[in-house]
Amino acid sequence: MRKWVSLYLFSGLISLTALAGDGDYAVFKIPPALLKNANAVVRVHEQYVELQKEDRLFIREHYVITILNEEGNHFSEFFEPYHKFLEIKSVEGALYDGMGKKLKSLKSKDVEDGSGSGGESLADDNRYKKHNFYYRVYPYTIEYTIESVKKETMFFPSWVPVFGELISVEKSSFAVDVPSGYLLRYKEFNYSREPDIKESGKSKIYTWSLANFESIKREYAAPSWKNIAPYVLFAPSSFVIEDYKGNMNDWSSFGKFILSLNKGRDQLPEPVKAKVAELTRGAGTNEEKVIRLYRYLQANTRYISIQLGIGGWRPLEASFVANKLYGDCKALSNYMYALLKEAGIPSFYTVIKSGDGADDIQVDFSSSQFNHVILSVPLPGDTLWLECTSQTQSPGYMGDFTGNRHAVIITEEGGKLVTTPRYGMKENTQVRNVKAVLNEEATLEIEARSTYSCMQQDDLHMMINALSKDKVKEYLQHQLDFATYEVGRFNYKENQSRFPTIDEELDITVSNYATITGKRLFIVPNIMSRHARRLTPNESRKYEVELDMEYRDIDSVEITIPAGYSVESVPQEVVLDTKFGRFRSSVKMEGNRILYYRSLDHYAGKFPAKEYAELVKFYDAMYKADRAKLVLVKNETTPKSF
Amino acid sequence: MSSKGIFLCLIAWSGSLLLSAQDKPPVKFGNVTAKDFATTVYPIDSNAQAVVIADIGYTFMEGNNKSSISVITKRYRRVHILNKNAFDAASESIFFYKNMDVEEELDKLKAVTYNLENGKVVETKLDTKNGVFKETINRNRFVKKFTMPNVKEGSIIEYEYTVRSDFFTQLDPWLFQGPYPVLWSEYNLELPEFLGFTFLSRGYKKYDITKKNTRSTTFTIIDSRGTGASERGQFSTNVTDHRWVIKNVPALKEENFTSTLRNHITRIEFQLAETRPPYAYKNFVQSWSKVTTDLLLDESFGEKIARDNGWLDEYTNPLVLGAKSDLEKARRIYYYVRDNFTCTNYSDFYADQSLKNIIKTKKGTVSEINLLLTAMLKHEKILADPVMLSTRSHGQTYELYPLKSQYNYVVVKADIGNTAYFMDATEPRLGFGHLPVRCYNGHARVVNKTADPVYFTPDTLMERSSTSVFMINDEKGNMVGSLNRVPGYFESFSLREKVNEKGKESLETEIKKSFTQEVSIAKLKLDSLNKPEELVWVNYDFDILDPKEDIIYFNPLLASEGYKENPFKSALRFYPVEMPYGFDRTYNLQMEVPEGYVVDELPKSMVVKMNEAEEGMFEYRISQSGTSISFRCRVQLKRAYFDPEEYEMLREFFNLIVTKESEQIVFKKKK
Repeated sequence: MRKWVSLYLFSGLISLTALAGDGDYAVFKIPPALLKNANAVVRVHEQYVELQKEDRLFIREHYVITILNEEGNHFSEFFEPYHKFLEIKSVEGALYDGMGKKLKSLKSKDVEDGSGSGGESLADDNRYKKHNFYYRVYPYTIEYTIESVKKETMFFPSWVPVFGELISVEKSSFAVDVPSGYLLRYKEFNYSREPDIKESGKSKIYTWSLANFESIKREYAAPSWKNIAPYVLFAPSSFVIEDYKGNMNDWSSFGKFILSLNKGRDQLPEPVKAKVAELTRGAGTNEEKVIRLYRYLQANTRYISIQLGIGGWRPLEASFVANKLYGDCKALSNYMYALLKEAGIPSFYTVIKSGDGADDIQVDFSSSQFNHVILSVPLPGDTLWLECTSQTQSPGYMGDFTGNRHAVIITEEGGKLVTTPRYGMKENTQVRNVKAVLNEEATLEIEARSTYSCMQQDDLHMMINALSKDKVKEYLQHQLDFATYEVGRFNYKENQSRFPTIDEELDITVSNYATITGKRLFIVPNIMSRHARRLTPNESRKYEVELDMEYRDIDSVEITIPAGYSVESVPQEVVLDTKFGRFRSSVKMEGNRILYYRSLDHYAGKFPAKEYAELVKFYDAMYKADRAKLVLVKNETTPKSF
Repeated sequence: MSSKGIFLCLIAWSGSLLLSAQDKPPVKFGNVTAKDFATTVYPIDSNAQAVVIADIGYTFMEGNNKSSISVITKRYRRVHILNKNAFDAASESIFFYKNMDVEEELDKLKAVTYNLENGKVVETKLDTKNGVFKETINRNRFVKKFTMPNVKEGSIIEYEYTVRSDFFTQLDPWLFQGPYPVLWSEYNLELPEFLGFTFLSRGYKKYDITKKNTRSTTFTIIDSRGTGASERGQFSTNVTDHRWVIKNVPALKEENFTSTLRNHITRIEFQLAETRPPYAYKNFVQSWSKVTTDLLLDESFGEKIARDNGWLDEYTNPLVLGAKSDLEKARRIYYYVRDNFTCTNYSDFYADQSLKNIIKTKKGTVSEINLLLTAMLKHEKILADPVMLSTRSHGQTYELYPLKSQYNYVVVKADIGNTAYFMDATEPRLGFGHLPVRCYNGHARVVNKTADPVYFTPDTLMERSSTSVFMINDEKGNMVGSLNRVPGYFESFSLREKVNEKGKESLETEIKKSFTQEVSIAKLKLDSLNKPEELVWVNYDFDILDPKEDIIYFNPLLASEGYKENPFKSALRFYPVEMPYGFDRTYNLQMEVPEGYVVDELPKSMVVKMNEAEEGMFEYRISQSGTSISFRCRVQLKRAYFDPEEYEMLREFFNLIVTKESEQIVFKKKK
């Protein structure tokens, strides 16, 4: 097969479909091992990428997938995004039945063309082509051949032979054809062989291939796809996009390219310069100046996404932002950079891969792995990081969107790899004190005072800043884990800093919080901090367990109960000391007060697959402990008047 | 009595006289002063993040040079943005329609942001040349987007534009209500006599001003499409000027158990009723029977099934081979269509594809698939008709007005013997003779010559489920039991979907997790999983693994039975509660007192009625006889629709249920 692929690559124009006679895709020809735990099988997948000119990549992709059952249907849809720099030249397709008999060919008018820009964006040129045979007699096979041309060479496609979970792969190959002298850069994951290299005069063809790969089943807290499936990342050495040329052999050169895009785009109009002078006047330190200017940015701009052509990578000019008071992450970061420059404070435009729980970039493989821009400001002591698209974020705080990861700062000398602030156990805390009174009707009046820090305050920060007070109340009225309740007084106080905190005051009335049956009273002393996750045991866990976030919760609760009860049963003290975290809870009665204490340190890290069972046990034990009830009995001496 | 009536009438009359001074729109383009910035909290909604000061539309018709009529709509809008969370109000998307090379046009866009700087109003204009972006959505629709420059907290933005459309038979609805409160919402419509429209008003806010005025005018129509000199025609006609104003419209609010917010948005809709001279006289809204008769002739609807469709032999012959009755034939055809065709759009009233094409492409809209089903049934001489309806998320229909635009869904009715069977072939796991829950939205119409009404009313739907549990002490003295559950049809349907999607194993895990005790589950059996017309039976054995303490607290409602929280959490309610069906849930438990224990305390039995009419019933009966405990718990709700005034009653009823259902039996070890 490999030989055949190479032959085809040289002959260039021979249609692939012509070689696939009826019956070649019959289901019985699939090796039985590939049918296990699979909803679909990739029969053949060939990609051929040719660097035709310094600013032009030709891509041909051909794939054949057999859909085995209903759950495999989502693999049957053809979906191909395109934009100004990526033109789809042709799409061919065919449908086969289980015996491999061709039922239908794709007609070009059947391909749907649509707008791919999300509702969020004001203007971009993202579009897509889409098709589906909608055949539902299983098994069936679909085949597509796509030819497209990329009119830039900054991004090379990646090889992802395994599309997702529960699909196995019979044959897959990825060939890259570059001029002989060209340095093709790549990084392999879960691929142990060297690529097959063929040189012929002017060109050099690298080929990666995979055969008979059995399906993967996703597991809870599993490592990212790159770490469990074969995967190859590619990047250019020298490249061209529109009128810009660059090289990304190392982060320094990559940074120089970004610098060339931004060049001269930091000019501010005179009134803004005057404003900078006015704002920074009298500020004691540079940090003070930065914070004042950042507050000015936050108060006077908003995020609007405009990404047309090169505008996907080059910021709109600072003067544009000054006039319109809006921009995307690039434009706003560049504007902030210009404001600081005007104030005489150097800062660095910083490219980063954002997202809650996103995979970190491959630090040893300099390439365009980014989707966001922030600004880093070197200050005596420590760097201050600024998220320029947010009108509310604390200066210097990154949170789970951009914290705990690598980024590349763009300096005059080029790009430099750096790390953004790390938020760990000490920072991500939630400390809660609850005072509550239970009355004879079992109604609980709660006064909860909590302080949330860093990543534990991210969601709350969003909520209180995005919602009006009555919406916050509405949210609280739905969100809390009580059967029937009323939210009373509540208040939030934000303390903005590099490690921001939010103080919450929340008064709640819960009807029938305790259960009173005849002479007994049942009550769960853990009122508001119950660990909710329970995991499904998996004896054949295959992959490492990766836990992302480190955090600490501390709760103390005091509940005053009606007089005349004595304890029948108190939950045992629970102490769990595991690799994944430490948990402690204890309850005691003092007079007519229940005193409850709970602490949880949840660790992050990578753990061997075999330890998963312990994590299941740990979560189960916490789940149980957090719901344990205290049982009280009405004292016999009390007259039974009711 | 009568004098009082007159008196009231007089007051109303003089009231309207007083109002007339406030009849004028409160704003004019460009007329923004420092005073307009002074209000930062508006009395209509002290929490509002933005307030629409005025939203005014004005639609009229004029003759064009394509020998026809154009509809011109002018829109004016002023918004006071109070804080940054309302910046989205500074971006506008205007949607347009096009057909072949005729498309609606945007004209005369003017947009200004006003800011108060040092006590002075500063204007920033939108760059309408470079700042408006067009995006194609599909063949027939595109959108133009712009965002206002220089927007800050406290900014006032103002824009106006004109849309020219040659599609004069379609008038967009006017929405008086939106995500932000509106102080003045006004719509004006100048309607020439030759176009008759029906007006439909919805929502709970009443008009503050309505006006109607008829005058005469002249239309000039030019035809310059030919090669020669253009032709010119003129005619006089009466025009009626309509005006509708609502002041102080609160923002829309999302609430649970609302089938769709669309039922509640205050708006006015227009439906073409007839064209009159100089246009050819044509009636568009007539009796229901006329509407359905026309639909039966429409090539995008009934025409497909009116034909003989002899070519269907190829498909139906093998299906009905050996079928002994019409019912069996219908069943086989239904399952054939259900299993071989994919529904690509669950909200489409018309069928563009031909039946042959549907068979070829194996896909279609809900209308296409169910019309194919109708055609195949008819081909086999089974009396079958399409039924038009509006799904729950699409909103309620007006039975009085036979307006096609209110309908978005088609199902099939077949009369076999003396029974009517309703079916929908778009859901892969739905049984013959059943409709999905989304169809239960009240009034629907059979598309036949008599246009028979049918009612799919949630209030008449009753979802009945029952669970029985038997628990004994096994030879080792452990508590073991078996549970048998028969959910209602809709729950059976979602259970089928769930098992198909996630597998039986995950259901077993879910069951295990649903117990508060540590349990092991064995012999999980799901009966009738693949018999889509029947209810699923869930059956399994369980062993309670918890160590037996000196005192055992035991809630007799095991697994996921019983309410753990009140489904009606909000304290206040604005719109009616619209549930998909009423329900009747019964739970029975027979158990042996754990070996070596005695009952120390049993919850008290109780029976509660929600109201006088007993539309809600809660029964909790428990008793002990020797070493055996019998328990029965039943929750019944006989209605699915409740007015906002009844909300408190509903919430209280469920509060009581949740509380009672959390009670426990206490067993004590024998001394």
